[in-house]
Amino acid sequence: MYFRKAVYLLYFFSFFVLLACQGKEINGELYACPMECEGVKTYDHPGTCPVCKMDLMKVSNIESPVLAEGDVPDESIFNLTSIWTTQNDNPIHLADLKGDVLVVVMLYTSCEAACPRLVADMKNIKTNVNDSDVKYVLVSIDPLKDTPERFREYAKEQQLSGDQWVMLQGTVDDVREFSNVLSMKYKKISPIDFSHTNIISVFDKNGVLTYQQEGLGVSYDKITEEVIKQTK
Amino acid sequence: MHKIRFILTILIFLSCALIGKSQDKTDLKSIKGGYVAPLYGLDSAKVWVDDFQLDEFAVTNAQFLAFVKKNPEWQRSKVKSLFADKSYLKQWTGDVTLASTMKPNSPVTNVSWFAAKSYCAFEDKRLPSMDEWEYAALASEAKQNAINDSLFNQRIVESYELPNTYLKTIGSTYKNYWGVYDMHGLVWEWTSDFNSVLISGESRNDGSADRNLFCAGAAISANNLRDYASFMRYAFRGSIKANYSIQTLGFRCAK
Amino acid sequence: MDIKVSGSMQAELTSPPNVPQPVGSRPAKKLTVDMEILEQEGEMSNGVSYIYWTFGGSVPGSFIRTRLGDEVEFTLNNHPNNKLPHNIDMHAVTGPGGGASSSFVAPGHSITFSFKTLNPGLYVYHCATAPVGMHIANGMYGLILVEPAGGYPIVDKEYYIMQGDFYTKGKNGDPGLQPFDMQKAIDEEADYVVFNGKTNSLIGDNALTANVGETIRLYVGNGGPSLSSAFHVIGEIFDRVHVEGGSLLNENVQTTMIPPGGAAIIEMKLESPGSFVIVDHAIFRAFNKGALGMLKVTGEENESVYSGTIQEGIYLPEGGAIQTMPGKGSAPAETIAASKDERIILGKQIFSQTCIACHQPEGQGIANAFPPLAKSDYLNADVARAIGIVLHGMSGEITVNGTKYNSVMTAQTLNDEEVANVLTYVYNSWGNNGSEVTPTMVTKVRSSH
Repeated sequence: MYFRKAVYLLYFFSFFVLLACQGKEINGELYACPMECEGVKTYDHPGTCPVCKMDLMKVSNIESPVLAEGDVPDESIFNLTSIWTTQNDNPIHLADLKGDVLVVVMLYTSCEAACPRLVADMKNIKTNVNDSDVKYVLVSIDPLKDTPERFREYAKEQQLSGDQWVMLQGTVDDVREFSNVLSMKYKKISPIDFSHTNIISVFDKNGVLTYQQEGLGVSYDKITEEVIKQTK
Repeated sequence: MHKIRFILTILIFLSCALIGKSQDKTDLKSIKGGYVAPLYGLDSAKVWVDDFQLDEFAVTNAQFLAFVKKNPEWQRSKVKSLFADKSYLKQWTGDVTLASTMKPNSPVTNVSWFAAKSYCAFEDKRLPSMDEWEYAALASEAKQNAINDSLFNQRIVESYELPNTYLKTIGSTYKNYWGVYDMHGLVWEWTSDFNSVLISGESRNDGSADRNLFCAGAAISANNLRDYASFMRYAFRGSIKANYSIQTLGFRCAK
Repeated sequence: MDIKVSGSMQAELTSPPNVPQPVGSRPAKKLTVDMEILEQEGEMSNGVSYIYWTFGGSVPGSFIRTRLGDEVEFTLNNHPNNKLPHNIDMHAVTGPGGGASSSFVAPGHSITFSFKTLNPGLYVYHCATAPVGMHIANGMYGLILVEPAGGYPIVDKEYYIMQGDFYTKGKNGDPGLQPFDMQKAIDEEADYVVFNGKTNSLIGDNALTANVGETIRLYVGNGGPSLSSAFHVIGEIFDRVHVEGGSLLNENVQTTMIPPGGAAIIEMKLESPGSFVIVDHAIFRAFNKGALGMLKVTGEENESVYSGTIQEGIYLPEGGAIQTMPGKGSAPAETIAASKDERIILGKQIFSQTCIACHQPEGQGIANAFPPLAKSDYLNADVARAIGIVLHGMSGEITVNGTKYNSVMTAQTLNDEEVANVLTYVYNSWGNNGSEVTPTMVTKVRSSH
């Protein structure tokens, strides 16, 4: 009698368990590569990433720095949760750059045509602005080749010295996402070459896009003014 | 006794099936790899597309509704302006309410690229790349590659002219060689790298790209001047930004 | 370049055939233009519909009127219901793409750019998004006028006309929603050649109107995409033409050539009342494809300018003898029909020389222009009336087989025998009521007028 009742209870219980099996409620800690080398793949045990050999981190720890409600405006790029590696091998979130005015360009180091001119423009802006509260950020659209080591070489070649220069390597997906935030367009056209738009963007200290300059051979007076304005 | 246990077992299996159905998961269709010649690319350069899987149907209103219920940061009143402009889900009557005039099985539109990307990631999928999408879209009902079928191309161009096709339900146009429905004639669809289309909008100039605006842009010019449907698609992609929400633009996922 | 602006104003945009107020003596200003793009279904002809892509909801698009030196702030709004991105190239703009590179806009979005008008004249604007030919062929064109300082001399009436060629999957007249046919467009084989986007835009109730003694100005453009216009108004001469919409003035012009992507400004003083037919003088386009409009001028007749028919009479050459060319023998004697069947045969010959152009070989007429004779309720109802029409002509609105027609039929200079023959042929063809019309009946109607 009780046995039978128990069996029925069991049936009903499993019914409800199955009902609950929608969506992705997962219990227990999950681990993933902090560089998202395998995209959204997760492991249920610690280990090393088979792609980049970094230690797997707990998914809950890879969350971006907790930004309090209203900490940054809705339009700020600090809302992006992507992880990047600087030329000094440091993993950062974009939000770690909060507090400085950001002058950002997307390029790739083996680019012979326009990118050297973009870098020259950035250097000129830096000289004219002459303010330490500004970071000059180069984001690579060729992250598979532009590693931190390559960036260090590049910095030497282009004479980009000092800690105001930030060079970022991201995942292929995160680079695409970032380019969309800047409305910058690019396409790989050969194993070594990309076609891309030439845009220098200025973000205020809260990560909000305030100004963009498109094209080469354009005077950088206006953009310099804008950067100076944002440092105040 | 045995009867009741038997009935209960059946009930459990049935409910599993029903739950599965009510979750409205879209099937993925397998697409065998092949070559596609993108409209804008190096001179008649064919690009190899690996085997991949593509959603049978575009993502529907009902499916996206379920998504925003579980992911409130993508609800209209909560979404960040970085990720979606003011037209995001503008036709819905509330954060989690479709308009009464909308069909649950119509493709969801007025969603930004960021929202579409998040939806696919949540489903353990991703957005198709432009080359993948274009490759799958080459197929007519019977042919894997219908690029030389002028009647099919004419049909595509005509379907692009018809207004308000986004109000139809998924599956209401045609099923192609791969078993995928509505690649043309329902809604435009997001791709992961739509922003690799470097056209300026001054289409008479786009062949001799402005060297100052586009680095190495001159290397890219339109390959098949006769493929008018493609011109329209690429022009559309060239005009949009990732946070745009457009009434005639939806998406489907790939894997 | 050096003209300074003072003050600002919102541009008044108008739909064809109307134009905004003249600029008059106003100075150059900062002019704000808000143009909306709408893709929508419209009626090309009776029973034929087409999906037009429009600037401002009309084909041609809204007329933009500016003054030399204006700084125009132009906002292009692409309605969210639209499927395609668009832009605008204005021939009045000095700058890349005529504005096209700065105005590329996705559906549900808007874009703003500005330019200064540097040259006076009448200019075409159109969409330049790929495939460009298709965007233009679907109706995305209009006119922008830059008046010189002081404006053009004031006239009594101004109108806006723009010709365009259309390419449909079906033939001219095939009913239903007709999609655009790209191959025909490339081959330049137009199905419809029309003014202001459809066949009856300037006919009947939509005819342009004016009064005797008035001077009117027509701003005429040609959106193409392919065909040039031999623009002519039957019964009028253009007193002054701004050749190609520029500053060169020609006078006393019968037909002016307007290429696709071009325009002309035409002025004329109207000295005579009546209906003046506006055509593309590449004449099959007017009568078979729809390039036909009407200007109705009302007022006092001026017999010295045009008297109408003064007299009909017998022509008897001198001596009463028939003159023949040497060696060619005598002219054939006129055959008098001896029976109804003979009448029909003779009538058919007359029909194919005289009536066929308008009423067509099977008596089917031309939609919106000339009524059918085949199975015509109007014809069969009253034989005497039909005789009267052939003798004296007819104008004004009639209803034939349920469709309205409002055209002009000129009086036919046929003798009683010929009228009898041709009408007998008509009544015994194409399902009509089989009456026989005799010369006596014709004489009776002629003398009773």
